[in-house]
Amino acid sequence: MHDDRELDDEIRGHLAISIKDRIDRGEDPESARRAALLEFGYVPSVRDAVHRVWYSRWFDMLADFARDMRIGLRSLSRTKGLAVTVVATLALGIGANAAIFSVIRGVLLRPLVNRGEDQLIYIQQSTPGVGVANAMFSVPEIADITARAKTISAFGDFSTIDFTMLGLGDPHVVKAGVVSGAYFDVMGLSPVLGRLLDEEDDGPNAPGAVVLTHRFWSTTLKSDASVVGKTVRLGAIDAKVVGVLEPSVPYPAETEIIANVVTSPHHLAATMVTLRTHRMTDLFGRLAPGATLDDARRELTSIHAAMIREHPEAYSPKAGTRLSVARLRDQITAPARPILILLLAAAAIVFVIACANVANLILARSVRREGELSVRAALGASRGALRRTLLAESLVLCGAGAALGVILARPFVAIVARYASRFSVRALDVTVDASVLWVGALLAIAAAVLLAHIPRLPSTEGARSRRSPNRRLRMFAMTQIACSFVLLAAAAALVTTLLALKDVQTGYNMRSVLAIDLPTASLSMTAADVSFYRELTQRIGRLPGVDGVSMGTNVPWRDAGKLPGIPFASAGGHPQAGLDNPRARIRMVSPGFFSVLGVPLLRGRDFTDADRASSESVVIVSKSVADRLFPNGDAVNRKMAWTDPLFDKKAHRIVGVVADVDDEHIVPEALLTIYHPVLQLMVAGRLFVHVSGDPYAVVPALKKVVRRMSADQPVERAATLEDVRAEVLSPRRLNAFVLSGFAGVALVIAVVGVSGVLAFSVKARMREFGVRLALGSSPRRLLVGVLLEGLFIVGAGILVGAAAGYGLSHIAAGYLDNVHVPGVLPTLAAAMLLAAAAVLASLVPAARASHVDVLQALRSE
Amino acid sequence: MAKTPDDPRLELLQGTLDMLVLRTLQWGRQHGHGIGQAIRQQSDDLLKVETGSLYPALHRLEKRGWLKSEWGVSEANQKAKYYKLTAAGKAQLLRERDRWSQLVHAIGRIMNPASTGEE
Repeated sequence: MHDDRELDDEIRGHLAISIKDRIDRGEDPESARRAALLEFGYVPSVRDAVHRVWYSRWFDMLADFARDMRIGLRSLSRTKGLAVTVVATLALGIGANAAIFSVIRGVLLRPLVNRGEDQLIYIQQSTPGVGVANAMFSVPEIADITARAKTISAFGDFSTIDFTMLGLGDPHVVKAGVVSGAYFDVMGLSPVLGRLLDEEDDGPNAPGAVVLTHRFWSTTLKSDASVVGKTVRLGAIDAKVVGVLEPSVPYPAETEIIANVVTSPHHLAATMVTLRTHRMTDLFGRLAPGATLDDARRELTSIHAAMIREHPEAYSPKAGTRLSVARLRDQITAPARPILILLLAAAAIVFVIACANVANLILARSVRREGELSVRAALGASRGALRRTLLAESLVLCGAGAALGVILARPFVAIVARYASRFSVRALDVTVDASVLWVGALLAIAAAVLLAHIPRLPSTEGARSRRSPNRRLRMFAMTQIACSFVLLAAAAALVTTLLALKDVQTGYNMRSVLAIDLPTASLSMTAADVSFYRELTQRIGRLPGVDGVSMGTNVPWRDAGKLPGIPFASAGGHPQAGLDNPRARIRMVSPGFFSVLGVPLLRGRDFTDADRASSESVVIVSKSVADRLFPNGDAVNRKMAWTDPLFDKKAHRIVGVVADVDDEHIVPEALLTIYHPVLQLMVAGRLFVHVSGDPYAVVPALKKVVRRMSADQPVERAATLEDVRAEVLSPRRLNAFVLSGFAGVALVIAVVGVSGVLAFSVKARMREFGVRLALGSSPRRLLVGVLLEGLFIVGAGILVGAAAGYGLSHIAAGYLDNVHVPGVLPTLAAAMLLAAAAVLASLVPAARASHVDVLQALRSE
Repeated sequence: MAKTPDDPRLELLQGTLDMLVLRTLQWGRQHGHGIGQAIRQQSDDLLKVETGSLYPALHRLEKRGWLKSEWGVSEANQKAKYYKLTAAGKAQLLRERDRWSQLVHAIGRIMNPASTGEE
């Protein structure tokens, strides 16, 4: 019936008849056609007229709606302040929610690029007894598992190792993954250039081959396509760049290149291949067709248990070795999940606050409009029509708020993504997507509909009560205060923790010490390396401003976890069952290390150049080691030995005791540390320079010295200890910053809310105030009265917020870890802040109350 | 309620145009062009109906159920839509005719108190 094509046929039919008539009457065909067309009129407008008949109902509704919108816009423009506030608060709420939703979708819900990612699993061995989440696997363990597993059709393994890479620009230390040939196939990845490694690259006789990761290729190498085919030198081995990997989530570690086994002599060495306790490999697998994750889990767990039974010497009972099997996708997203959910909760709270605020403002305004609405009702407007007006208004507000919110969402998404990327690498790829628009639109419509129903329509019976809108307003304001309090308290807790961390005494000289990475090509140094470093240290020591130079192996905090704790005992003592001795950190340092870093020497002496490979083996221990081993006497000149099976059982003489420092944890614990001379163990790789003046000013000269001595030696990551620590703290700082941001926004909105409620209340009671003033009450009493009302609202809100927050943190503690109730100090601080804000918010309305013009008040209604 | 092209003369005719169309179709089916022609001729060229009002009227009357349309072949050997009265349309025509007479009669009494309205 409503067919445009039929209408066109009808018109064509009309024209044909008209033309024929004219021709029959004697006109020539051409002018007949023209005249007929002219007589018919403008075809599109005829079509429009018919459309208006077909869709008359829609046209009517549209016209009504447009009119409502115009009226709404006009009345809103009369109260611009309200409109702007509402739009701004909605924009913040909608923008934040939409942004977080995008990030959640991108991180938790988006599928991986890996082919068949449902079949891709990650197998992890953990030793929770000694606090290690990923203990990794050794080659013999992997061989056992791969031989016996039937639910897994293919395995891939990945180990992380550092190489000094030459051949692509400056000599560069790269984090590399060393993989078996099946790895890329198991992971289901494809190359964007060239090819990936496969079975042909396996084994000790294959030529060296390297695949570049996409991020490394596009940022450092600027997407240069010509690198494929070039040969690079990794440490001592040459390898050819065979391809570039597609952009994908780097797991278990973000590496710059991925190489085959032959490039790493360590991987081919006997210790790696035969020692069951030498664990440095991660394991992935692909489920066999028909096998489920649970099947695989059961089978692998039993294989693992059998393995432990067969080789008890490699598994300490204290460690509690366990196996876990998870889908790769779940493994990657799991760490981010609690944080993102927390963020979503925070954003939802802000949205609730924003809506409460908007509701408040609209409710206050609607009471003022009651007169207008009653008049319209009396003139015959139906309840539906009145609601439609309100709906049109709130749609304008919410639409504007949503539009602004969607615009704000893009920078919000960038911030949240960068924040979330510390917990899950997937966040790096998140961008604003269409779902933001949908969420924004949905939220806006939901808000608009909700808000349109808040104001009470004039009822046909009974006088309207003045009290009830006031009570509703108060409840909204209290809700806002409660929510703001929760956010503020949480933010305050984070900030106080952060401040405490900043001021902690680390035991190091933080400002004047420069730490630099000078990685050696291979793990242990040769005699040539030794003389190189000695010469280098001397030359750098002669640079202007340099007070002391020393070598070491670990930069505090940055290199945390590089070397695990090793069990030890006093020499000649009775070692308990091998692996249950106390564990200490092992560090290699050169003479002068302690004075360069500002660690006081308590007893005995520092290392000297006389302590070298050919002389007696000596160590320096930290105070807690000395107290542990020799509680009743002097540790100097006594002996200790390492008891780990991988280590030499040689006894070492203790020549000195230094103060305890913790170079692993941000909050210092007493770490047992034992220092060996660099020259005796022949391992180094880090340079420490004590500078008077600005440490960074020395860096260029230092680099020049190194360059002059060797063209291939990488010099990297020069930073003061202070900056190193700050960088390690930055995730926490970001946490506190983001949460404070939310809390700040919440506070502002809540303050506006309280202010609005009070303003409304004052206005409603103008007559009362006028009467009281006329009867002789002092203006100050009125002012105090309003202030007290404000404080009451805030107080009640804080109590509710405290109760709710307490309950929430208990619930949250069930799902996430690291949730504590904020301490007394932050809670009090938050409460004080809110109270102060309340007083501020109450001042203007209170002042208004006390300055009411008596006559005007009595006249007002 | 629905907005119509705002020529005052046409506005007056909207309800009347409907009546004229129904009347024209009293004697059998006709297509749009024919209806327009008939009204013009029978009014001695005094009433010229624009297609912009005629076609909406036809579709509106069809929507109301007073007309029914069917496709046929016109004298120009072209496909054309023919309209014809339904039973409800016939009843409506009678109602409108009565109302029109009463209206004319009433107006006549006011404008010209002496004479009576025509039948």
